[in-house]
Amino acid sequence: METQRLAAESVEAAPLPEAPQAPAAQADSQPKTRGRAIVVTSGKGGVGKTTTTANVGIALAARGARVVLIDADVGLRNLDLVLGLESRVRYHLLDVLEGRAELDDALIRDKRVPTLWLLAAAQNREKDDVETAAVQALIERLREAYDYVIVDSPAGIEMGFKNAIAGADEAIVVCTPEVAAVRDVDRVVGLLGNRVDVKLVVNRIRPALVRKGKMLSVDDVNSILRLPLLGVLGDAPDVIVATNRGEPVALDENAPIGAAYRAIAARIAGEDVPAPAAPDEPAGFLEKLGSLFGGRR
Amino acid sequence: MKARRIVVTSGKGGVGKTTTTANLGAALAQGGKRVILVDADIGLRNLDLVLGVEKRIVFDLVEVVEGRCQLRQALVRDKRFGENLAILPAAQTRDKTAVSEEQFAGIVRGLAEMCDYVIIDSPAGIEHGFRNAVAGAAEAIVVTTPEVSAIRDADRVIAKLQDRKLPMRLIVNRVRPEMVRAGEMMSVDDVCDILSAELLGIVPDDPEVIDTTNRGIPLVLDPTQRLGAIYIKIARRLEGEIIPFTQLGGGGFFSRLFEALRAG
Repeated sequence: METQRLAAESVEAAPLPEAPQAPAAQADSQPKTRGRAIVVTSGKGGVGKTTTTANVGIALAARGARVVLIDADVGLRNLDLVLGLESRVRYHLLDVLEGRAELDDALIRDKRVPTLWLLAAAQNREKDDVETAAVQALIERLREAYDYVIVDSPAGIEMGFKNAIAGADEAIVVCTPEVAAVRDVDRVVGLLGNRVDVKLVVNRIRPALVRKGKMLSVDDVNSILRLPLLGVLGDAPDVIVATNRGEPVALDENAPIGAAYRAIAARIAGEDVPAPAAPDEPAGFLEKLGSLFGGRR
Repeated sequence: MKARRIVVTSGKGGVGKTTTTANLGAALAQGGKRVILVDADIGLRNLDLVLGVEKRIVFDLVEVVEGRCQLRQALVRDKRFGENLAILPAAQTRDKTAVSEEQFAGIVRGLAEMCDYVIIDSPAGIEHGFRNAVAGAAEAIVVTTPEVSAIRDADRVIAKLQDRKLPMRLIVNRVRPEMVRAGEMMSVDDVCDILSAELLGIVPDDPEVIDTTNRGIPLVLDPTQRLGAIYIKIARRLEGEIIPFTQLGGGGFFSRLFEALRAG
C-alpha cells in the first residue's frame, strides 16, 4: 500500500537494467589499473552513508586493494570518527585543494589496514568553499595511484552533494526501509542521471518486523527503486557501539554484520557472493534474500 | 507577531527532525493550540509523508514565494486535528536556493499571524537549506541521538544557533536504556554535559515508530504507541509546564571519552 503511493512519484528514477558505462571508463588510453571512483550517497541523512563508506572501504582494503576514502561532508565531518582516526587529522580536503598541504601529507594511513587512507573534510569551513572542478581533478589524480576512491557524500542534494558526486562514475545509494528514505533515494537517483552506475544497499532491515508486516521488505523498497542490489544489512546495535569506538565492524570476524560488509566489498570487487549468513535469522528470510541476489546478479 | 516560531534542527540527518516536528506539532494541536508546520527541506520533502497528507498537496512554499498562490492556499490541513494543525509543504522538484533567507523569514512571519506555533522542519546539514530554516525562527530545538557523530554535528549546529542568538533546547532521541546500562551508549546526562544544553525531552528508541511513520499516523493518535505520551510531555514543557524527566540509565564514561576526542 505504501509502495503504491510512492510508485506514482517515481518518474525521475531512471530504471537501470544494465549499468551504462561511464564515459571515463571507456577512454581506451587509460591503463586497466586506473582506480574506480565510487560515491556513497542517499539524499536522506542518517541512513548509514558514513558507516557504509568506512566499512566497505576497510573491507576492500583488507582484501589487499589500495583504497582512499574522502569525507565530502565539509563542516560536519564524521568519517574520521567512525574510522577512529580523528586524532590523526592534520590537514583536510580544502587544505589540499587550496594548496596549503600536499596530498600525501593530508592522506591519513590506517594502521590496522595499511592499504586504507582517509582524506578528512574541513570542519570549520562551508561546503560552498569547495570547487566542484577541483574535487573532480583530485579524484582523477587519486585514481592513478589507488584502486578505489570512495567519496562519502553529505546528506541532502545541495552543494556538498553536487561536489561529492562530481568525480564519481559509480554510486552506492544507501536506503533504509522507510518511505521517507525511499522517496529521497528516488530523487537522488534521478539527479545522478545515466552517467553514473548506481547500486543499492538496503540498511537496517529488521526481519522480525518485516515478517509482522511492520516494516517495508527489501522487495518493497526495490519494487520502487528498481536498482541492482549490492547488499542488505540488518539493524545491529553492534554498529552503534563500533561507531562510537571508531572500530569498523567490518574487521570483526565474529559479527554477522561484519560479514555482510565484507560480502558487499567482495561483490564490488566482482566476486559472485551469495547472501550473507545471519545465524539469528530464520531460513525463510535467508531464502528470500538468496533469491533476490540470485535474481538480480 | 503572535505565534512562537521554533526551528527543529540537528546537523546530522536521520536523527528524527521530521518525526519530532510532526509529533510535537500533533501533540500541541491535540492540546488545543493552533499549529502550522513548515517543511524547509526543499527537494527532499518528507514532512507530508510523515503526516500522511502527501496526496493533498496543491501548492508549495516555493510557489508562495514566487507569488503563484496565497500563503493560506498552500496550507494543507490535517483534518484529524480539526482546524488546529496544518502544514506548508516544501517543493519537491526545486532546490533550496529557490528561496532566500529573507523570503523564508517573510513566510514564517506571515504564518505567525495565523496560529500559536510555527514549527520549521530544517533539512540536514548546515548549508543554504539550514540557513533558510533558521532565518525566521525565534527559538530552536536541537535533536540528537546518543552517538558521537550526531553529537559532534549537534555541537556545530548549536554554535551556529548561538551566533544567531537563538535560544535552544535539546531533545535526545533514540535512547536505548539497556545499551546505556551496559556502557555501550552515552546517557542523556552525558549528552547534555557535552553539549552544555538545556534538556527538553528524552525519547527512547522504538523500532515500531518507523511503521507508524511509514503509515503517516502521528504517534499521539496511535493508542498502541507509548511514545505518544512522551511527545505530549514535551509539548507541555514547551508550554512552560515543569515535568520531571524519566532518566533512562546513567553513566559518565562516554562523557570523558568525548572530552578526549574533542581535545584531540
